[in-house]
Amino acid sequence: MRKTLTILLLIVAMLAVTACGGSGGGNDKQGSGETAGPSTSDNNQSSKNDNNEKKDPLSGEKPVLRQLQPFDRFDPNAEFTAKFLEEKTGYKSVYEMLPEEMANEKLNLLMSNKEKYDILRLTKDQFFTLAEAGALEPLNDLIDQYGPNLKAGISEASWEAASIDGKIYAIPQAGTGNYASSSLVVRKDWLDELGLKLPTNLDELYDVLKAFKEKKKVIPLVWYGSVLQEIASAFGIYNSWDVVDGQLYHQSEHPRMKEYLAFMNKLYTEGLIDAEWPINTGTTAIEKFTSGKAAMMKLAWWSAPSVVGALERNFPDAELATLPFLKDENGKAGVGINTGITYFIAIPKWAPNKEHAMNYMNMKLEEDLFKELVIGQEGVHHKVEDGKYFPILPAFDDLNNASYFLTGVDERVYSTYWQARVRKDPILYNYFEELQTLAEGLFVEDPMSNAPPIQSISEHAQKLAKFSEDTYMRFIAGAESLDNFESYLAQWKADGGEQMVNDARAWFASK
Amino acid sequence: MRHKTSFADKLFVFSNYTFFVLLGILTIFPFLNLLAKSLSSEAAVISGQVHIIPVDLQFGTYKYVLQDRMFANAFKNSVIVTVCGTALSLFMTSLTAYPLSKPRLRGRKFFILIFVFTMLFSGGLIPTYLLIRNLHLINTLPVLFLPAMVSVFNMLVIKNYFEGLPDALEESAKMDGASNFRILFQIFLPLSLPVLATIALFYAVAFWNDYFMSMIYINSPELKPLQLYLKELLASANNVFLQLDKIDVDRAMNVSPQAIQAASIMVATVPILLVYPFLQKYFVKGVLLGSVKG
Repeated sequence: MRKTLTILLLIVAMLAVTACGGSGGGNDKQGSGETAGPSTSDNNQSSKNDNNEKKDPLSGEKPVLRQLQPFDRFDPNAEFTAKFLEEKTGYKSVYEMLPEEMANEKLNLLMSNKEKYDILRLTKDQFFTLAEAGALEPLNDLIDQYGPNLKAGISEASWEAASIDGKIYAIPQAGTGNYASSSLVVRKDWLDELGLKLPTNLDELYDVLKAFKEKKKVIPLVWYGSVLQEIASAFGIYNSWDVVDGQLYHQSEHPRMKEYLAFMNKLYTEGLIDAEWPINTGTTAIEKFTSGKAAMMKLAWWSAPSVVGALERNFPDAELATLPFLKDENGKAGVGINTGITYFIAIPKWAPNKEHAMNYMNMKLEEDLFKELVIGQEGVHHKVEDGKYFPILPAFDDLNNASYFLTGVDERVYSTYWQARVRKDPILYNYFEELQTLAEGLFVEDPMSNAPPIQSISEHAQKLAKFSEDTYMRFIAGAESLDNFESYLAQWKADGGEQMVNDARAWFASK
Repeated sequence: MRHKTSFADKLFVFSNYTFFVLLGILTIFPFLNLLAKSLSSEAAVISGQVHIIPVDLQFGTYKYVLQDRMFANAFKNSVIVTVCGTALSLFMTSLTAYPLSKPRLRGRKFFILIFVFTMLFSGGLIPTYLLIRNLHLINTLPVLFLPAMVSVFNMLVIKNYFEGLPDALEESAKMDGASNFRILFQIFLPLSLPVLATIALFYAVAFWNDYFMSMIYINSPELKPLQLYLKELLASANNVFLQLDKIDVDRAMNVSPQAIQAASIMVATVPILLVYPFLQKYFVKGVLLGSVKG
């Protein structure tokens, strides 16, 4: 009797579970149907607005906006800037993050499940993928109606970079301005010891490296990666894409790429660059340089404080000198920069609060609010000297993560405000300024910086880059003879490279 | 009669000891290196001066890590998931193993087959995600332990152990009028402490170490468990140069110093290391002695 009862109970329980699951799924479908409802009625309302001006979608209580951000280590919801924004705009934002690894996969998961985010802060490739998949709302009307500050503060070129066929799919957030990021640095104390001068072109560089190897018995140049910008630019290779004699080339097809690789191979075989170059990482390279095993390395200005600090600790008498940007045989030097968009701020098609989201982002670009967002209050977080902004520490540290909350910048002023960040640390600032002085007038813009999403590029660029990196490394280390360069190039073209180049050239010609 | 140890024996013992001591040193070296790095100055760490002794001894890194709100949060989340998860899993797994260990269960082989089937095949990432989403578990803490409550492998281990316990126990208990539940909780489980402790350890380590589930299902920063937080802390430091397009220089400026990374790892690893020895004693105690006569 007990047995039959238990079996009956079990069957009933199983049925109940399947029933719940079924109706749960059904409810979900109804739920998504219902949410699709209000957004379409919202659209109807806004179109009615143009005619009647009766119902304002911005009226009523401000909703909580849900933002999806790229990864970072801190909790944005607890940040000073988040509270500041809530106070000043009246909108509460809930921030969620993509993971550090597999971010694109997670993003695709969330988007295919139509998670109700209002604002998405996307990287370029994420933006391209979602825009092409049709997941993003065209923003032209929303910007016209609710985004006057955005329109005023963001340049035409930037808007174009975020548009496809005239429809704007994201608010383009430009970077901090055109700045050089790195250069080669060398142990000046050793240069002086050997009676050498700072090299200005490839031949002089070669001689200096040779002297270091023979007389000082150290690794002359240490770093990692196959294309070292500071040397490649002496061959006219400045960016991933360059214009040579009026024709657009991808770096792999650059007329002088083989020459560059041959030069690097020569340096490698003669021991003028680190033998462990193929397996180095940023960390190991910095380790070798700061422990006195290497004479020269590539330094990015944001790493300057830690590297200089480490070097000083180990060798108090060490001195660093920054190499000027190397000239090619015609005496021309260049610094490649990408003037593109760092982040694309998009609104998904199924976002519940599109108008409010746009309004919120617009408010953030109001003159005073924007300034305070970026560098805080004058006299509290920053001070002004000669029209330049300087941080007041330690108050300024509250704003260390402020840029995370930007959804579009006022391009007319952001660069000036942003400089306050660099001025936080004197070593950072000195190195940064020195770098910019050296790079003045030498900028070579990547012609594809502001290209709109091009299908073949989004599809192939990443994997071709990896393929090229691996192959170049083999050429440089001598594991493969440079006679095979043509067959590498043929394969590169066949794997999508040719298509990429054709599409890029088509767009370039149409500009 | 004394057993004379031949030269071969002595040599064997000696080589054994040497080999394992070396292996032990090799294993503990990275750990000591990390400990030293966490107590050294940043300048010494990035220039590779630190081996197993701290250079420029400082405790600022630990102060920073222990005061970091995100770290404390992540730690708390991991502890909650591990404790709740292990307790719940142990309960559910033994509940599952018990009936499957009784030969008198009808269709026993069939049920075991079904369970084993799930060990070999899975629905894949997308269907599983959809399932979790329909259960409204996305971005909640229970998602990190509820779906993983019964691990078939662990369940089979417990089942085998139950099968190894003498039938006489159950028979005598039934004769005294005990219900099945009573037999399970008051007789079988107390006798299974060694295997339960082992399985508890397996579960605890699995929950503590998980980061994949949290990466997929957790979106809010305050719900991140420790391993995910740590992994992201370390990885973000290395990836700044790897972007093809415009570098986010503000992020580059805020990269975490290596000494702090080392301290974070230490603070995360040491607790679980301390728990291990306390569970050792359960493996050693033989509880079955004297429970069955003849």
